[in-house]
Amino acid sequence: MVFEGLKVSSFSKRFGRFQALENVGFELRPGEVLGLIGPNGAGKTTLFECLAGVLPCDAGRIEMRGRQVQESERFSLLFYLPDGTAPWPSQSVQWALDFTIGFFSGRHEVREQAVAQLGLQPLLHQPLGTLSKGQRKRVLLAIGLMTPQPVLLADEPFDGLDLHQTREVASMLRAHAARGRTLFLSIHQISDAGRVCDRFVLLSCGRVCGEGTLEEVSALAAARTGAQSADLEEVFLALT
Amino acid sequence: MLSRRSAMWWLFKKEWRELAASRAWWVLVVAMGPLVGVSFISAVRTYAEASGLHGTTAGVGEAFSPLVGIWAPTFSSCELAAAFLLPFVGIRLVSGDRQSGALKLEMQHSLSAFSRLAVKAVVLLIGWLVAFVAPLTAVLLWKSYGGTIYAPELVTIAGGHTLNAGLTIALAAATASLAEHPSTAAILTLSVTVGTWIINFIADVQGGIWERVAGYTPTAMVAEFQHGLIRVDVVLIATTLILTGLSLAAIWLRLGKGIRRRVYESIMLGAGAAAIILACTWVTRSLDTSENRMNSFPESDEAALRQIREPLRIVVHLAPEDPRRLDLDRQAISKLRRIMPNLNVEYISSTSIGLFEQTSENYGEIWYELKGRKEMSRVTTAEGALEGIYSVAGLAPPRENDNEIFRGHPLAVPPNGAAPIFYVVWPALTVGLGIFLRRRLA
Repeated sequence: MVFEGLKVSSFSKRFGRFQALENVGFELRPGEVLGLIGPNGAGKTTLFECLAGVLPCDAGRIEMRGRQVQESERFSLLFYLPDGTAPWPSQSVQWALDFTIGFFSGRHEVREQAVAQLGLQPLLHQPLGTLSKGQRKRVLLAIGLMTPQPVLLADEPFDGLDLHQTREVASMLRAHAARGRTLFLSIHQISDAGRVCDRFVLLSCGRVCGEGTLEEVSALAAARTGAQSADLEEVFLALT
Repeated sequence: MLSRRSAMWWLFKKEWRELAASRAWWVLVVAMGPLVGVSFISAVRTYAEASGLHGTTAGVGEAFSPLVGIWAPTFSSCELAAAFLLPFVGIRLVSGDRQSGALKLEMQHSLSAFSRLAVKAVVLLIGWLVAFVAPLTAVLLWKSYGGTIYAPELVTIAGGHTLNAGLTIALAAATASLAEHPSTAAILTLSVTVGTWIINFIADVQGGIWERVAGYTPTAMVAEFQHGLIRVDVVLIATTLILTGLSLAAIWLRLGKGIRRRVYESIMLGAGAAAIILACTWVTRSLDTSENRMNSFPESDEAALRQIREPLRIVVHLAPEDPRRLDLDRQAISKLRRIMPNLNVEYISSTSIGLFEQTSENYGEIWYELKGRKEMSRVTTAEGALEGIYSVAGLAPPRENDNEIFRGHPLAVPPNGAAPIFYVVWPALTVGLGIFLRRRLA
């Protein structure tokens, strides 16, 4: 399926009395790295899970070329990589990568590169359940990068990584996007987001506070507060 | 299509590896040996003593049916394993994905939740069949002692226990997908098992509709297979329950669907299953695979009974817990139901045990009614019931055919070598295999 961008609109989700998402909408363009920025509890994971169809939403619409994307179609467009999971704990890393290629019809050509760039070679025979948080995160990233869907939603891709690894993963993600894959990354560390993303969606208390490139959200912040800043952290604070 | 088939194959490989890595399954496999061993050794010893071992007087030949004497007790260990060990293996396999987060990844494949769950069920069934090697070892040992094996009854009993395992797997899958945590699923599964025992208990006390319902509980189902009886309605109902359990699990594993929708779908599924089960209860066909025809009258009597086309009504004045009623049910009524579709049996009693009804008028009477004619008898044996029916139908009882009489297979051989095989070799082999496989799959 040729990916021509998505228009997400009116996503809402309520947990009992708590409104986790309220009328969330934004655009996802082909080949871009879009950052979902927000503090803890902003609704980033909820939004990702609703978009991917692993959590039911109360309302929401995804369109491609003006046509609504049905729930059954989402799995061929989006792949969601959750944070804080340890799938198949008794299986080795090597097997998990093979399984991703076999089960999801994953990108075989990405495998070697992902293993090398994410430093997985020494871990290949380790069971996933015995890995540290950072090691597991790297394996999950490799899994996500090998999946065939044109859009990858990665929840906190830098969580658990040290500074070196964060930079390496950031450049790897950029290279991956340069080859045409669209990445939508949920990041609560704003400095990390600034390093890797083309555009940003700022989320706070389940609402979108701004969307666009750094310049566009800076202008939005300036229009609201009167103070001009090119620093994403300042912009985020001004808009939320 | 190729991609779908390939995905299913990968999923199968993954589930198999998960099963092989599961301690719960290895515990089941290891425990199966000693469990089968205890039952088999005890059954063979009793059978041998009754056959005249150690100078005891040999019993009557007709009593020696390996089905009842050896296979029913030996395979009963499978019932124990299916009730108390297999659910945990199933729950582990279904809940494990949810707990680890693998479910969120796998559900993003276009494969339906039912397909994914069906693969798990198939792997669990294979896992069960691996454990089934223990009772099959008992079959080989019995053969080595010179024991007789009648394949149809052995296949029936093994099939019954496999169907029971299927029910357990479906129940475990359903509870594991409904409950957030595996321990909750385990409690739910055991509650259902205990619930079926309560139904059996109530049926024993109350009789009536409870007796009918209790006839479809796993315990009753297995008991019939252990007697070499394949009832089509029981097989259909068990299959329906297995598919319902798996479908329910599939509904609740679709995390992306709203709770209301899942509840609605579950109610619809339950209603559909109930309707199918109700329809299945009208199916009366059955097959007696026992060598001694323990679920059937002699062939000559069955031929005579088939001549009766009119509805036969039997009114039994016996309480549900009265041993005479149990005798009558087992020896006559159950056999009559198999060959006379127009049979109507009515039980009348004021109490459940009947102890204080003995002096009541009519208590203990069994009335046979056909074409307006009535005949009363107090005999609860098969011969007594047949006599009453022939009398009311105006038929002459057929002559006994000596060739039809089951002569039995006495075997006065102790269970030599069984104890070391089941208590030492089996655990050592399975533990060794477990360590080898886990290392190889790692």
